Amino acid sequence: MTTVDRGAVTRMPEPTREWWRPVTWAVVIALAAWSLWGLDARWERLLDAPADLWDLGRLLFSDMAFERTGDLLVDMWESIAIAWLGTIIAGIVALPLSFLAAENLAGRFTTLVVRQVLNLLRAIPEVILAIAFIPLLGLTPMAGVMAIGVGSIGTLGKLFAEVIEAIDDAPVEAVDAVGGSRLQRLRWGVVPQVLPEISSFLLYRFEINVRASAVLGVIGAGGIGGTIAQTLQFKQFEVAGLGLVIVVVATIGVDIVSGAIRRRILRGPSRG
Amino acid sequence: MTDAAVDRLPPRPAPGRFTVLSGLGALVLTVLTARAVDFDPTGLVTDLTRPNSVVEGLLDPDWSQIWSRRSRRAFIETLQLAVLGTAGGSIVALPLALYATDYGAPNRVVQVVLRLINSVIRSLPDLLWALLFVSAVGIGALSGLLALFFFSIAVVSKLTADTLDGIDRGPIEAGVAAGASNTSMLRTAVLPQILPSYVSFVLYGFEINLRASAVIGLVGAGGIGERIQFFQGRGEWDKLWGLVLLFFLVVFLVERISIVLRRRLV
Amino acid sequence: MIRFRDASVVYDGGVRALSNLDLEIGDGEFVVVVGLSGAGKSTLIRAVNGLVPLTSGHLEVNGREVPGLDRTGLRELRSEVGMVFQGFNLVDRTSVLNNVLMGRLHRVPTWRTLLGRYPADDVALAAAALDRVGILDKARVRANHLSGGQRQRVGIARALAQEPSIILADEPVASLDPPTSHVVMRYLKQISNELGITTVVNLHFLDLATAYADRIIGLRAGELVFDGPGEDCDAAVFESIYGRSLTADDTMDKQAAM
Repeated sequence: MTTVDRGAVTRMPEPTREWWRPVTWAVVIALAAWSLWGLDARWERLLDAPADLWDLGRLLFSDMAFERTGDLLVDMWESIAIAWLGTIIAGIVALPLSFLAAENLAGRFTTLVVRQVLNLLRAIPEVILAIAFIPLLGLTPMAGVMAIGVGSIGTLGKLFAEVIEAIDDAPVEAVDAVGGSRLQRLRWGVVPQVLPEISSFLLYRFEINVRASAVLGVIGAGGIGGTIAQTLQFKQFEVAGLGLVIVVVATIGVDIVSGAIRRRILRGPSRG
Repeated sequence: MTDAAVDRLPPRPAPGRFTVLSGLGALVLTVLTARAVDFDPTGLVTDLTRPNSVVEGLLDPDWSQIWSRRSRRAFIETLQLAVLGTAGGSIVALPLALYATDYGAPNRVVQVVLRLINSVIRSLPDLLWALLFVSAVGIGALSGLLALFFFSIAVVSKLTADTLDGIDRGPIEAGVAAGASNTSMLRTAVLPQILPSYVSFVLYGFEINLRASAVIGLVGAGGIGERIQFFQGRGEWDKLWGLVLLFFLVVFLVERISIVLRRRLV
Repeated sequence: MIRFRDASVVYDGGVRALSNLDLEIGDGEFVVVVGLSGAGKSTLIRAVNGLVPLTSGHLEVNGREVPGLDRTGLRELRSEVGMVFQGFNLVDRTSVLNNVLMGRLHRVPTWRTLLGRYPADDVALAAAALDRVGILDKARVRANHLSGGQRQRVGIARALAQEPSIILADEPVASLDPPTSHVVMRYLKQISNELGITTVVNLHFLDLATAYADRIIGLRAGELVFDGPGEDCDAAVFESIYGRSLTADDTMDKQAAM
């Protein structure tokens, strides 16, 4: 059915030229090509990779060493302990820092400086921090605790500061109006307003840190990661496989419990 | 005021059961975990304050690593790993996210399978992926690339899936009503809506991958991590910190650029 | 030709949206469906292109039995039936032309749509459709930069680009002000008359219905309560459709005057 006159197309406006589109594509493609040619990845092995992965998967999960479940659970518990203590330490340091990083509490110059410090801490991966702490504290879980702790300060401080900046100014003004000191202002004007969000962020960070601490053991900072790395290295795949399963199940379990508590905290007691 | 008024003051309400239980729980957990890791505050302070080459190296880093050929090559390898891992992972993540939505899935089976794949990929952290690939395909850059590839899929598909849940359903209905195939509908009705967010997630994935690419070398998956491990093994902390700080300067700059780009996109 | 025979739609919650409907709409007719919200107008329209499946009964559209169609069959049917939506359902972040080209999706190979490279003939058709509704000059503008009336004209152009034999319009003017509503209704009517496209429009406002409809269909609680030419549709008939006398809410001009 030819219902309409197609000659109209000649009167249609030309598409507008957007110079940045081809430029962006050119840059992206050039970068990818440079990486593809430059990277010495021995590409021919890529063809074998699916088969290799399949083999590894079979070795890991076909015949798991369930008699080692107890040991592995102890290792996982150590990972969780590292995550928890690290989060607590980070929270203790991050809270005062966040007061200094919040624009409605501290001066412009202070917030600028403190924020840059927080950004810097955020940029460094926990694993690098662990490498630095291991020579000081030995191949112990404490190295992991410190790595997680220092590594979480940046993010927690930034999130706390954002929560503090979003508070209602009226109670703070009220404390000022009755002649309260700066500390009283924090204690009665700010803290009650931010406590639920801050506890919920702490728990959220704990969930993330459980994953991070499970990894730290790979370089010797305690926890289940070390066991997995070693058993993989010595080809005790039946133990490594079970370890991986325990990591996944435990992280999901921690997520579920901690997530439920977080929701309860934010919802408040009224509709409990 | 009479002192009788204070007697008529209602008794202080008992704190809620949830507050008590969670406070107590947090305390018990802290004590138990402190035991599990042999937490010793005084020992910690002495260990950390004792003069040591780690902190000395940090205070006086050796910047000469810019001129070392091997470090520069590791540096470039790290960048290349991050670029390729992000590019490949992001390309795969898009259909994984699109075809796992309620409106985009061709059928229930595909949807369930895709969601399963997504959640399995997301449940493992970067370094464990690297460890697994090193174990499967051997030491080298290919393992690192595969690890970052899977890691990018996890990050980008998760964020994209969240965005896909919140889009305007009107154009989807229009596409279906026009008799479009599933793929055509996703391309014309859904993709334009999420494209800016998706590009911003890809940039974010690149930031994360750049940082992760420094780490995966520690288990033998290529890049700058191998140099870091090399200096760690020799105890040359000034060189290690010089390299690490230089690298994070680059990461920091890339992040700034990426954040500016992302703001303009959304 | 659209023919409902003893057609019913019952939603999951037990709501009866269409009840044993018998209705026949001939080729080239311009029909307006009126009724309260929840009377089944939207269900009736969406049944025609299979967006809402019948629970029981028969529905024949262009010689096809709609309830029996598989996925491919449904897509073929929908390619012949254009649809205009209350909320316009445009993709805001892309150009007007790309929105109109969505009407060509069923004719263009999927790989071409993936690349966004439509054949010249389809672009020409989309341009012609835009020209029909008088906004060809806006073809390259992003859809979110248009006014409400212009957006609905894009919606009509998109339906027109399908080269449909039937156009369904679901409350096409509900989000528009009175003058713009008249513009949109005029375009719908004109297109129907000149191109011989069967058009079914859902409307809430009665004055608008009588002004444009060749034939009015009244629905009440999923049942057909009136079917006749626009001029027969007086206050008494409306009362039977709406179950109450007319109020200012039911006519656009009075409501606009308020």
